[in-house]
Amino acid sequence: MRPENYQAISHPPSNEYELNFGPNHPGIEGNYALKVKLHGDVVVAARADGGYLHRGFEKLMEGRLWIQNIALVPRICVPDPVPMEVCYSMAVEALNDMEVPERAQWLRVLQLELSRIAAHLFTFGGHAATTGMYTTMYWGVADRDQILDLFEEWTGGRVYHIYNIPGGVRRDIPAGFLDRVSHTMDYIESRLPDYDNLFFTNQVFVDRARDTGPMNQQQALEWGVTGPNLRATGLAFDVRRDDPYLVYDQIDFDIPTEAPGDAWARTLVRRQELKQSIHIVRQVVEKLPSVSGPVRTQIPNPLAWNVPAGETYTRVESSKGELGYYVVSDGGDKPYRVHIRGPSSMHAVQVLEQLAVGARLEDVAQIMFSLDACPPEVDR
Amino acid sequence: MSKTVTPWLDNLLQEIEGIEIRRKDSRRVRIDIAADSLPTLLELLRGRAGYVHLSAITCVDWIDESQFELVYQLWSYESQSLVSAHIRIARDPGVYVSVFDLYQPAAFFERDIHEMFGVYFEGSPDMSKFILTEWNGPPPMRKEFDAEAWVNETFERKEYQPDWLKEITEQGGGIVKSPEEARQKKP
Repeated sequence: MRPENYQAISHPPSNEYELNFGPNHPGIEGNYALKVKLHGDVVVAARADGGYLHRGFEKLMEGRLWIQNIALVPRICVPDPVPMEVCYSMAVEALNDMEVPERAQWLRVLQLELSRIAAHLFTFGGHAATTGMYTTMYWGVADRDQILDLFEEWTGGRVYHIYNIPGGVRRDIPAGFLDRVSHTMDYIESRLPDYDNLFFTNQVFVDRARDTGPMNQQQALEWGVTGPNLRATGLAFDVRRDDPYLVYDQIDFDIPTEAPGDAWARTLVRRQELKQSIHIVRQVVEKLPSVSGPVRTQIPNPLAWNVPAGETYTRVESSKGELGYYVVSDGGDKPYRVHIRGPSSMHAVQVLEQLAVGARLEDVAQIMFSLDACPPEVDR
Repeated sequence: MSKTVTPWLDNLLQEIEGIEIRRKDSRRVRIDIAADSLPTLLELLRGRAGYVHLSAITCVDWIDESQFELVYQLWSYESQSLVSAHIRIARDPGVYVSVFDLYQPAAFFERDIHEMFGVYFEGSPDMSKFILTEWNGPPPMRKEFDAEAWVNETFERKEYQPDWLKEITEQGGGIVKSPEEARQKKP
């Protein structure tokens, strides 16, 4: 917001005052602001202020070919870009009634889970930083880099891979790649006890995160909370298991839950999911050599590809929650409408506004990071 | 736990006038319904059938038919199925009722649709701007809004000629070929 457009919240003379929290602050992976009203250092009202990362993706996509949008979608969420590519590709495949080769589906699962591990390392590193434990953040970012190295070798891009296309994936894995994936998984797993010692069982973290920003299961369901934040209230729901896509129904994994629903529980759920994702990656690594065949189906000339008219809502479980794409085609070579339902559009707006009330100012950043909100998903 | 919409619900739904139910697969049901009946349908789905999670509300601008389509995606944690309810409203004046009292996530989606399409939702808790606080033009996601034309009308195209580049150009360096030249086809 420009200064000339700033309007103070009007209130009678009192001990309350107003503070602009953001758009640049330690609480979030991007630019996003909160306008908080404080009494002493306790928040009495909070109002989300988004739009700093609005790039008009939905409008841009209406003006580009179906295949061109693949290069656009991963930019919508920087820390976890793969679900965007996969979800959009799945929507175009659904409109075309297209089968994806089995090998491509396993490769997609491998990529999704690696991306989830990278995103979780980033998030709890960030959460640690909001409680003053910067070492965890440095470790998290450094370990995430190991996964980015894998992505670089695999797809050529560290963050934006542009690897999943409608009909499959662009190319197969390089020779010897699975060994390096196993090696990296072993490495990350060996690091988990270090993270536990440094962060998860650290009394500073436990004391500060316990009972901070709590919500119960009923509230979570009413507010439309999904993903790890919902599982931290005790409900074992995961799109991967309960509305399965790709080959997730052939994979064995647990859905970790925690009951308290506070910042501590939310981050602890991510810690356990990390382990589950490593478990899934190992299963994919074991399975992939026995799945042969092409990695993509024949698609029409992508520059003159008229997708049959129709509509579809596809969704995947991203590291932040339920990610959905509603895509409409009018039979043309470009989408007629694309609507992106980012999980953070709930978490960063309504949920955050409610959870911040009653918290102390120094905990606001922590609540934000424990919700793992991704502002570009809200702004699109 | 049934993985599909229960039969008694099917029977109940049939009683609503002007309803069309299409089963896409075992987990996806599409319902087309008159705009007036939607709140009743949502109340039934939420109260009686466990569709407690509103995934999204999407607006689609069908400019040729002079209509907006609103799509409500509802998920049931119990029956593990997704119902999409579709309604059409007139493009002008583009007013509909809020479903905030049934589904709290609706507040965000309705606010977003109001901002991007100009559809007003009566009874929604907050219709103020959220993303486009600096924007005074027409709702940009409407089909008649041409983003490229707006840019060409609003902004001037300028040549990039900072002083440091001029100095280099005088010495014989800098940009050898202008973008216009580069775009021209070779003879």
